[in-house]
Amino acid sequence: MANTQQLNNLAEDVREEGLNQGSSMKDLVFDPITGDFRQVPRGTHHGEGDVVTEMTNKGFAADTVTPIVYLREDELQKAAKSLAKKNYIPAYVEEVDEEGVFHIRLKHQISKIPMYLEIPGIYTRDESQLSDVRMRGCRFCVLLKDSEPEVWCRPVSPAKGDNWQRGNVFLIPSEENLFSRSKGILEVGILKNKRVMIVGLGSFGSQIAIELAKAGVGSFALMDFDRVELHNLSRHTATVHDLGRLKTNVIEEAILGKNPYAKVDKFPININEDLPLLYNEVEKADLVICATDNNTSRFNLSKALVEKQKIGIFGRAITRAEGGDVFRYRPGGPCYCCLVGAGNLQEEEISDVASARRDGRIAAYVSPEDAEAMVQVGLSSDIEPICNMMVKLSLVELSKGTESGITSLEEELIYDYYLWANRRERHYANWKPMPNAGGMPTILRWYGAKIEKEEHCPICSQAIRLEGDTDEKVAGLDDIEIDLQ
Amino acid sequence: MDKDRYNAERSLLSRKFPANAFRFFNMEEGASGEQYLRIGARTNSGNVYTLHMSLDGFPFAQPKVFVTRMLKDSKGNDMNSASSAMHTLSAERGWTRICHYGPASWTPAVSLYKVYVKCRLWLEMYEAHLRTGKPLDYYLNHQY
Repeated sequence: MANTQQLNNLAEDVREEGLNQGSSMKDLVFDPITGDFRQVPRGTHHGEGDVVTEMTNKGFAADTVTPIVYLREDELQKAAKSLAKKNYIPAYVEEVDEEGVFHIRLKHQISKIPMYLEIPGIYTRDESQLSDVRMRGCRFCVLLKDSEPEVWCRPVSPAKGDNWQRGNVFLIPSEENLFSRSKGILEVGILKNKRVMIVGLGSFGSQIAIELAKAGVGSFALMDFDRVELHNLSRHTATVHDLGRLKTNVIEEAILGKNPYAKVDKFPININEDLPLLYNEVEKADLVICATDNNTSRFNLSKALVEKQKIGIFGRAITRAEGGDVFRYRPGGPCYCCLVGAGNLQEEEISDVASARRDGRIAAYVSPEDAEAMVQVGLSSDIEPICNMMVKLSLVELSKGTESGITSLEEELIYDYYLWANRRERHYANWKPMPNAGGMPTILRWYGAKIEKEEHCPICSQAIRLEGDTDEKVAGLDDIEIDLQ
Repeated sequence: MDKDRYNAERSLLSRKFPANAFRFFNMEEGASGEQYLRIGARTNSGNVYTLHMSLDGFPFAQPKVFVTRMLKDSKGNDMNSASSAMHTLSAERGWTRICHYGPASWTPAVSLYKVYVKCRLWLEMYEAHLRTGKPLDYYLNHQY
């Protein structure tokens, strides 16, 4: 292992090679008189022909384009400290594309391309990993001089004149600065310490997760056992490249893409089948988003919220997303069961046959053809407003007690239940057109309602009363024997 | 099902039925295996059936309800498949399964007794079907 002096010498060598490189570079110029290309030293061309920039850069003189390199500020700071103890920085190139843009991680490999980055001459090369570097054609060298990073790059198999070239380095800000643009509106310092649990990562949950990550929420628990399927794509944040992947993995990636400092715990499970885990995670969360597509999971979550005294935001779309609603549970207030017990069971949107079959929303006797006909998904733009309201309610709840730009929303969003209509169809057929609606409800506006707490709610009341609890006795059964086998 | 709910259900059934007509299984704390209720039913014609209510997921999902044998329809066929006309779902364990509540109309406030009442109604209509040959949905509306 080299000592600090050797490292410094190497740094100087690489720097010098790079600085000398400019003089050896050539431009390819088309000469209209001869009809040929000819090479001229860079900077000596005086207009008697066109510089064939693209071919110059990507063809004969490949890899001479100045690379753009992104480094993470926090990792650089840690690397600077570790350099005092070690003479090399283990690192990986996270993303390489055809645009000369490179994301270099100085810590762990978190993504797809297992590339090895070395400081030449100092670290013993692993040949099997080096082959990946060759495939990509570039080798990188990160130098830290007084904690200031320089990144140098050259082809793996350099031709004559292909020297180390200094890249343009951009820093991805550290955690405290990443969301500085939101300051004044959101208390990002508060949000980064909040944990949000999202149950259901479909078209609702996926968008909400990403919005909350963009707002600076620092910790997530993601629950969904489903994988991305073709029919998801029109409304989900996933892309065709994600087909077949677990939604928990896809959304984790999306969250970290927005906030690389977020903590994400993934649970690819059916919450109805692991209630101890559900309760445990609800307890750890500051707020729970319920974005599932069936009432069984909503009831289970509702019970967990009541028991653990946590805030929950429920959202759903009704048939073809002609409208939808949002319900907020606050400890001590009416629960989701109080809402549906009050006759608010809506004919929900069925967006997926397999899921609807699984929980009985499409009965087993419905033929495959009829089941397909029951799938009535709405547009992504129709569920956006509902997701948006869920996000706003979440941010208000998470920011409560702090002065921020959204504090005033606490005076607006006082209701337990919010109703939204996208089109004047079915449930909303009698609503008035937006112009001149007068005192009548109309579409594309939020309406709020206070929900009464049910005195005998089976989930949130201490004095439950069950349906069917009357005084009549069932006669004629005194002498029967029931089958106990 | 948690303890409070179990006590409420048992209390309600105890007021409705004689002790010999129903029994819960595997409800004690720490018990393993399926939690279920067996409950007797006598139709107006005097026939006796035993209903098996599977309580996994109850009360946040509707219980599966079976008649503890394979019933035959008026043509002598096993009632073992999901049928909209007969208000049945796919049989399990060789038992006919009754379709009673759909998920859209289910709430945790519905008691096992109320489920029983719907199934008792189903049994009456089943016997009417045996007498007339008319499907059950001639008598019973669909509820989702």
